Amino acid sequence: MHGWTGKILRIDLSTGKITTEALKTDLARDYIGARGLGTKYMYDEVDPTVDPLSPANKLIFASGPMTGTFAPSAGRYDVVTKGPLTGTIAASNSGGAWGPELKYAGYDMLILEGRSPKPVYLWIQDDKVEIRNAAHLWGKDVPETTEALNAETANDAKIACIGPAGENLSFIASIMNDMQRAAGRTGVGAVMGSKNLKAVVVRGTGAVTVADKTAFLAAVSKASTMIKEHPVGGTGLRLYGTNVLVNILNSVGGLPTGNFQDGHFETADKVGGETLAANQLQRPKGCFSCIISCGRATKVNHPKYKGEGEGPEYETAWGFGPDCRIDNLDAVIKANYYCNEYGLDTISMGSTVACAMELFDRGIITLDDTEGLELTFGNADAMVEAVRLAGVGQGFGKKLALGSYRLASLYGHPELSMTVKKQEMPAYDPRAVQGIGLNYATNNRGGCHVRGYTISPEVLGVPVKVDKDSIDGKAELVALFQNLTAALDSSGSCLFATFGIGAPEFAELMTALTGFAYTGDSFIEAGERIWNLERLWNLKAGLTAADDTLPPRLLSEPIVTGPSKGAVSRLPEMLPLYYGVRGWDANGVPTPEKLSALALA
Amino acid sequence: MKVSYFALLRDATKKSHEVWQRPAATLRDLLRDLAAEYGPNFARWILKDGELAGYAIILVNGQDVRGLQGLDTPLSPDSDVFIFPPLAGG
Repeated sequence: MHGWTGKILRIDLSTGKITTEALKTDLARDYIGARGLGTKYMYDEVDPTVDPLSPANKLIFASGPMTGTFAPSAGRYDVVTKGPLTGTIAASNSGGAWGPELKYAGYDMLILEGRSPKPVYLWIQDDKVEIRNAAHLWGKDVPETTEALNAETANDAKIACIGPAGENLSFIASIMNDMQRAAGRTGVGAVMGSKNLKAVVVRGTGAVTVADKTAFLAAVSKASTMIKEHPVGGTGLRLYGTNVLVNILNSVGGLPTGNFQDGHFETADKVGGETLAANQLQRPKGCFSCIISCGRATKVNHPKYKGEGEGPEYETAWGFGPDCRIDNLDAVIKANYYCNEYGLDTISMGSTVACAMELFDRGIITLDDTEGLELTFGNADAMVEAVRLAGVGQGFGKKLALGSYRLASLYGHPELSMTVKKQEMPAYDPRAVQGIGLNYATNNRGGCHVRGYTISPEVLGVPVKVDKDSIDGKAELVALFQNLTAALDSSGSCLFATFGIGAPEFAELMTALTGFAYTGDSFIEAGERIWNLERLWNLKAGLTAADDTLPPRLLSEPIVTGPSKGAVSRLPEMLPLYYGVRGWDANGVPTPEKLSALALA
Repeated sequence: MKVSYFALLRDATKKSHEVWQRPAATLRDLLRDLAAEYGPNFARWILKDGELAGYAIILVNGQDVRGLQGLDTPLSPDSDVFIFPPLAGG
């Protein structure tokens, strides 16, 4: 095989049995890799009703065929498992250099089963695979763990690990790789913790082979040029990072504020990308093979929030900033550092603190509940301390580490959790941008923006501008973006490559790389197949059309101030249209005809 | 009217916003005058061959002018104008 290594590494952590097996060629072609292929293996091997934190759940680290090649911005991998936060199939996507290293070691996927009787880590050097004692690492944070493992394995080994949050089985725990990159969403870090697996350390000396080198070189060159020369992909992301969106979303009235009580924050500019670039930014930082470099290496000198690390992304700055009515960027960055160090998802963490602040604001929880933490909106010190406590699992932090849905439910108010399928929504208000609300509601892993990023056409105007306030055509738009993203996630590419290239260029890259003939249409169809398989998994897990919804606030409480004042989400009008576009019945179940057309019957 | 600048445009204008006193009946008038004031490092992100550059985001009172009348969008002394160069995030 080309692109794919053709080999899967499977480890039973209960018994210590280590095996390898061949990747099935037809599955690779039809499900591509990473998110799609990992989901296919989960679907075939794991009962969707499994307890996510039980040994029967599996944890799959999966790269894509483009991962590890020099295709532009295509060095990513997915962690695929049943997510404890949502109960859905989870695929959490991360960059850095870990995914390519797994390929160089000779594996497309690493499938982990069972539960180790004691804390361990894996040390993978090409064909040599060891399960090693991790007792001395348990309790250490991500930087400490990474540095210790580099010291005892190899300086240039690539490390994916959990911090204390994953060990404590926090439902919003991430898996961190290369110290600063996160497979953040859906609580995948808790699954790793439940298996007593502290880290996966990889060093590979192999290579990824290419079916048609000349054609691949030409396709890479073309794609790279298109990204570099695109006014959107080529300049702004490197200079300002994703956080430049703060001012854009605020200016259109779509910046969720105060736990989504409003859509506009008067002092948002203080936590935006321009302010970051002028103050805390040290340099842009890119993942493996990236020509965009949206990452932010930052440093905070403020004595109270002092530190160095990476971030914030837009969603992080929003979550710890405007969603908590905080405009202190140093504090926001400190909260981001804590999340990276303890292994927490920044979106879910920020939104959970915002939810706690609304509970506090309304008198539903008091200082007795928070153990003295004054969680008023705008209290930057309390926000930072709340994140630290959640990271180490102490005090009120134990409840925050459950995520906002379970936190708010503990106090009888789940409606104040700004979640879909129990996962916190990101930084785009569905009342101000209609399509993104439909995407949130129907997303196969709950509140998630990246799997159907209609903000691109609805706000940025890329590739074409559509009316953000209209519902016309949104069902088709959302389904198309969800399908395309499922395919490109599975290829190992970064979503941001789409700010320069589209399905035809991905198909050219895939065809030259793998030798299988992809077209733009067949690439998107593979994404549709993956989307429907994820849907089937979720239905078997017990989710229904009733879960395809938004928090009631967004359907009935209008935005209070700003340019989108008065708007509510029109999800109920869009959802039946979406089911129709998808070829699903009125209950959101894929029809036999649709499954047959996608070779899923 | 109030005019706000973002991202790379702040490098050209050396400010994040200002109260623009010169009369401008339409967005076309305003951008012509701003381009003259702040030069090519401003204009190249916003205008191309006299038309709106692709992907530039210009809001008048919170509404994207691509959904209004583009460069012919009328302005008044109390208009609130936001100008972004082409940008992305996620």
